[in-house]
Amino acid sequence: MLVGELASLPGFVLVNNGEEPERSIESVYCCDLLSLVMGRAPAGGAWVTVMGNVNSVAVAVLADVACVVLAEGAAYDDVAEHRAKDKGVALFKTDLPVFDAALLIHSMLGNRDD
Amino acid sequence: MEELSLNVLDVAQNGIAAAATLMEISVTADSGEDSLVIEIKDNGRGMTPEQLESVEDPFFTTRTTRPVGLGVPLFKMAAEQSGGRFEIVSKQGTGTAVRAEFGLTHIDRVPLGDINSTIHTLVTFNPGIDFVYSYTADGAGFTLDTREFKEILEGVPLDNPEVSAYIKEYLIENMKEIGFEV
Repeated sequence: MLVGELASLPGFVLVNNGEEPERSIESVYCCDLLSLVMGRAPAGGAWVTVMGNVNSVAVAVLADVACVVLAEGAAYDDVAEHRAKDKGVALFKTDLPVFDAALLIHSMLGNRDD
Repeated sequence: MEELSLNVLDVAQNGIAAAATLMEISVTADSGEDSLVIEIKDNGRGMTPEQLESVEDPFFTTRTTRPVGLGVPLFKMAAEQSGGRFEIVSKQGTGTAVRAEFGLTHIDRVPLGDINSTIHTLVTFNPGIDFVYSYTADGAGFTLDTREFKEILEGVPLDNPEVSAYIKEYLIENMKEIGFEV
């Protein structure tokens, strides 16, 4: 599944396109403790979290995740959105709980035809 | 981070990198105020106004090995997440002081963690730097001042294995005596 295709999942909203909508999502990763995410989020993964501040964007850059998915109806703050545009980080949001959002992405990874 | 003591270690390392010779670290818990205050003050070279302005921005870093610096931003976030606040003041040639205030019993307040190991590590790995560490909980407290230790030790370095073990014990015993761990 490609990053750009996430927006077509039910309940997913595209917040920022990022510089690589054609990037393939390799896995799904869930965690909200940013210091852990820094070291453990797999590159190319879709990172599902509830932390929508600028630090999350920095962690996304550092860990080289494919995109950030903000779950549970949480919102990105303005600084985060601004920096994501600046740094080309793909951002999505959804009202789904973290597990459901991650499961939905995961189920799509099994069906990839890329 | 999983423990605030790791934030202390991280911020203190900044002071060491800034050529500090004296580092003052204090942890103060107050049940009445429901607050936990951590202060880290160094006499290093300090920051320029431009550096100070951007230090809370994770995309600002003085390091060249990676594009982002999350030490200060994560410490600030940990404080604000617990209903507290964060302040950093710095002056070139004078030093830098960081003050992080946390809601002591706030559900999202990260535990202090193993602060004794953090202080012990800082003290024994940087024998050339003086440390003044104080821990206070509801009025009861203790202070470890390496300048006093050095005076008594008359030249025996703080990283001497026996001295190192004594310092660890000193921290643990004093903390136990206060009987209030956060």
